[in-house]
Amino acid sequence: MLLRAEDVQMDFGGFRALSGASLDIAQGEIIGLIGPNGAGKSTFFNCLVGDLTPSGGRVLLNEHDVTRATPEAHARLGIGRSFQVPATFEDLTILENVMVGAFLRHARVREARAQAQRVLELTGLDALADHKAKSLGTPGRKRLEIARVLATEPKLMLLDEALAGLTPVEVQQAIELVRRIHRSGITLVIVEHVMEVILTLAERVVVFNQGKVIARGTPAEVVNDEAVIDAYLGHSHARRHGKHA
Amino acid sequence: MRRAGWVALAAVLLLFPLSFNNPYYEQLGSLVLLAAISASAWNLIGGFAGQVSVGNAVFFGAGAYMPLLFYKLWQVSPLLGFPAGIAVSLVIAVVIGIPTLRLSGHYFSMATIAVAELIRIVVSNWDFLGAAIGLTGPATPRGWWDLVFRSSNPYYYMFLAVLVTLLAITYAIQRSRFGYDLRASRGGERAARSLVVPVSSYTLYAFMLSATFTSLAGSLYVVKFGFIDPGSGFGILVSINMVLIAALGGAGRLFGPLLGAAILIPLQTETNNLFGGGGTGLTYILYGGIIVLIARFEPGGLFEMWDRLRAKWGSHAA
Amino acid sequence: MILLQVIVAGLLIGAVYALFSSGLTLVWGMMNVINFAHGEFVMLGMYVAFWAFTLAHFGVASFSAAAAVVLFMLGVLVYLALIRHVMRGPMLAQILSTFGLLLVLRYAAFWAFGANFVSLPDGILGPSLNVGGILLSAPKLVAGVVALAVTIGMHLLLTRTMLGSRILAVAEDRNAAMLMGIRPDRMQAIAWGLSGASAGIAGALIATFFPISATVGESLGLIAFVVVTFGGFGSVPGAMIAGLIIGLIESLSAYYVGPVYQDVFVYALFVLVLWIRPRGLMGKA
Repeated sequence: MLLRAEDVQMDFGGFRALSGASLDIAQGEIIGLIGPNGAGKSTFFNCLVGDLTPSGGRVLLNEHDVTRATPEAHARLGIGRSFQVPATFEDLTILENVMVGAFLRHARVREARAQAQRVLELTGLDALADHKAKSLGTPGRKRLEIARVLATEPKLMLLDEALAGLTPVEVQQAIELVRRIHRSGITLVIVEHVMEVILTLAERVVVFNQGKVIARGTPAEVVNDEAVIDAYLGHSHARRHGKHA
Repeated sequence: MRRAGWVALAAVLLLFPLSFNNPYYEQLGSLVLLAAISASAWNLIGGFAGQVSVGNAVFFGAGAYMPLLFYKLWQVSPLLGFPAGIAVSLVIAVVIGIPTLRLSGHYFSMATIAVAELIRIVVSNWDFLGAAIGLTGPATPRGWWDLVFRSSNPYYYMFLAVLVTLLAITYAIQRSRFGYDLRASRGGERAARSLVVPVSSYTLYAFMLSATFTSLAGSLYVVKFGFIDPGSGFGILVSINMVLIAALGGAGRLFGPLLGAAILIPLQTETNNLFGGGGTGLTYILYGGIIVLIARFEPGGLFEMWDRLRAKWGSHAA
Repeated sequence: MILLQVIVAGLLIGAVYALFSSGLTLVWGMMNVINFAHGEFVMLGMYVAFWAFTLAHFGVASFSAAAAVVLFMLGVLVYLALIRHVMRGPMLAQILSTFGLLLVLRYAAFWAFGANFVSLPDGILGPSLNVGGILLSAPKLVAGVVALAVTIGMHLLLTRTMLGSRILAVAEDRNAAMLMGIRPDRMQAIAWGLSGASAGIAGALIATFFPISATVGESLGLIAFVVVTFGGFGSVPGAMIAGLIIGLIESLSAYYVGPVYQDVFVYALFVLVLWIRPRGLMGKA
């Protein structure tokens, strides 16, 4: 197993955001974590990348315990992550943004720049290399974030709602990009609350609701699961309203 | 084109004092350079690292007091006090920086202003440091090493050398991994950490470098003017000047502070003549107004404005 | 006995610190903006009280109310004209905006009202009282008690009323608040108004026993920073306790070391708090 989460729990004060989630991720997989807003999937995600230290359970990377490791240690060990709200470095150019990621494995400026340029070509951002990050729209920022993570040469990439807020055309382009990244040998975990997209991408899906894993399996298995249908229909109303935010 | 610009800038800076046989302009030139040094030093922490120090006067004051204190105690050349000022400044920078640079930026800003004020009060009441009157340097030079010259020109070239050194260091940082990471940490700490940028230690190094050169600016000030008092060393207006000059030209831009100084220092001498010095407060109302306008409309300063206008014209031309 | 008197005086002035600091911490906790001109707000409150007394012969209650109203409006104005536009921008713009405001307000007051101190008449709130051997100045007693009451009132307003829960909802999660039909912009404007009003009342109360000058905001503003940091990010009860402690420390150090150094101890405490307990007494982790 590349990454193994065993019975991960998270409490915030008296509130249990996540009760006992487990997951095995093998090299080369694409796994989708889905569930309505507030289902616990983002909490689980943050436990996997070291942003949160779980209240219980363990996270193992290649059999090494990383439960209490910092976000920096996770990145060093090859776990890269994107942010739900893209956190690009606004005043840096797109190339410079990616260079900051590339410095993790390439200490010299020249090598980091070369690595960044390779990643920009892979992600289709090379034409914009010298523009400031703040000149990009949401889809561009999400793409830039993915590029920045790629530049750290991760074994495993966790994408937090990388597709949310995109138009259908942009979603198609993003799916293309994710496939390309996957083909280059990187294992992927994708968090989404919009189910449709994930079903076309992921090989395995884990469904969260109210802090618990309620279903897991192939996309085909999951869509026919009673509990999943209930959870989604129950939340579809709230979600539609959430869109206005 | 670019090379021509560099040559022109170098020529103006080198020949400026020789072009006038007028003490007013000679004096003005060295004041501009001195302001550019301390604002460029502020720029390292405030502009590049994005941590807004509103108390950098504390380093300026330390740098200004130490040479004269050495002279007062042991009658040695003020030069020997330069490193002592830097040492004191580094200690202060570490005391402020270590706890606050891990926290959100407001703590750092509040701590810088509080420590500057703390030290101003202590110095103002400490007879050892001349209390409210301050310290005076050698009146007549015993040798070149007392750094007392009748003309402004030796100071001008001394300041120019320090400014060029500081800008060269800044330029090297800008193009190094340290520089990229520093600017990234300003953009978003959480994202920077996820890419293994050591945010708090890098900003601390930037703050220490800023403290070093601000202290040096204070030492240079004091060899030129020969005396220092708590207000002109540690006063809040000393800090404001650095912030305003850097932000006006362009915080985080290599030549931003120099541009800001070239505009603001002549303006300052003019408004002082016009409004009768700081006595009525009109100068500071003007400063405050400029600062508010920069913050509201052009936080990137004049350089950023110029970039935007150029991009606009460029796109019209195309 | 004299020590007891020093302690009581310190707690009374501490209550006034708590009052204006609670306004600062409200805005800080709600939108992560620090108002560097908060001390100047207090200074303006002092002048409002002075002019309302001098020109219109207002009593203490009415000039305190007048200061609250004027500073409430100033707070809203500053939010609408300035803060709203810079709060999402770079940190530099945020800090410069209120820092520039500090300069404008302080030196505009200096220019308009001159360098000389003015003060309200000594006996404005009656003579000093002798309570069980402790000599208490009536203005300080009134100021301390009123300030404590208003600070508690502010805490109750935030925790027990509809308006308060709306303000806190915006502080907690702006987007979620919007979904509940709350308009964040309006709540933030009100928070700035309340912050200004707290400074205004505090200024009016201080004016009853302290000389008024354009530069008085400098040390008051710094004290507010110390109080909110010590009390903890965004916590009004924290600011209240911290304010009382700071008043006490100030009073004791003035008594034992000398009034010139009273602020030195407070600022040193600030650095100490940052080293050993940066989240303050009651701040969130």
